[in-house]
Amino acid sequence: MSALPSSILRLVKDGPERRALDAGEVDAVIDAANGNVVLLPLAKRALSRAASSAANSLLAAVPRQDYQRLLPELEPVTLTYGEVLYQPGQRLRHVYFPSDAHVSMLVVVDGGKALEVGLVGREGMVGIALALGVEHSPVRALVQGTGTALRMQSGAFLEELARCAPLQREVHRYAYAKLAQARQTAACNRYHLVESRLARWLLMTRDRVRSDRFHLTHEFLADVLGVRRVGVTNAAGDLQRRKLIAYRRGDITILDRSGLEAASCPCYGIVRNLAS
Amino acid sequence: MARANNKTLRLRLYVAGGAPNSVRAIANLAAICKEHLQTAFKLEIVDVLQFPLRALADGVLVTPHLAKLSPSPATKVVGNLSDRGSVLLALGIGK
Repeated sequence: MSALPSSILRLVKDGPERRALDAGEVDAVIDAANGNVVLLPLAKRALSRAASSAANSLLAAVPRQDYQRLLPELEPVTLTYGEVLYQPGQRLRHVYFPSDAHVSMLVVVDGGKALEVGLVGREGMVGIALALGVEHSPVRALVQGTGTALRMQSGAFLEELARCAPLQREVHRYAYAKLAQARQTAACNRYHLVESRLARWLLMTRDRVRSDRFHLTHEFLADVLGVRRVGVTNAAGDLQRRKLIAYRRGDITILDRSGLEAASCPCYGIVRNLAS
Repeated sequence: MARANNKTLRLRLYVAGGAPNSVRAIANLAAICKEHLQTAFKLEIVDVLQFPLRALADGVLVTPHLAKLSPSPATKVVGNLSDRGSVLLALGIGK
């Protein structure tokens, strides 16, 4: 292993502590003179990496001590744009807690046509059906925004869910929010204008990626809105003319957030309030 | 030693947040407890990043550090607890 800084070696001269240090089994050294905790370089790196990825709201609700028990089961993965995590009917082997990735839930009808029914980002998880006792995915889970997530095996997730009441509470609350979101979306798809629905969907994406700029293809937006591509062109053109967004080859920039909120149907606010 | 076991086994594990050796120590200890401890025991996990003064007061120099508080004698194991033999020995659990 690499040589340790002398500031650390000075604190641990001999005994089992020194043997563990030399074996690379130590994360931190406590300075007996003042109680300062000195992290070893490797631990420091790992902790700063973890701090940036423990950004998922469901996991953040888990008490610190439970979270530490959970950590060995959480595998950091990178989800890539276009990757399909599940097809409908596929067995749910893992659940995913996105940090900065976002994943779209699509219902596939008539052998090919897809309609988006939900969006999952750092506020939620992919594989929620498992928490309700369903072992197979009812939807297609398609990665929309490349980013990181923490992945957990289904068995471990169910065990933890049974053991950790705060996690259970959060997961159930989230499952309810998803149900309400689907309900609202069903009504919205039927009654609201394409422009308003596009505005709503762009705001929802923005909330999940926490950025005013993101990439969405025409084809995907057509799936989301359940319209043909020309419908997307018209709706995006309308929002662009009103200077609410800039849209170029799938690169979207939200220029006026409150204007976009005003242009969106009330469903945006309703769903957002349910989730918080 | 087996006879002294009327008192509950009380353990305290000092860790540094979710640092790799700390995570490993928790997983290793959990596996050992599951396999070898049929009776009730108490385990407290102390995060020295949150409570550095507790570590200092308890004479803990490095993390991970597992302390057996009772039954006596008090013992300790430092490191990520991957050496199962030394953990069992420290806990006073039969070979």
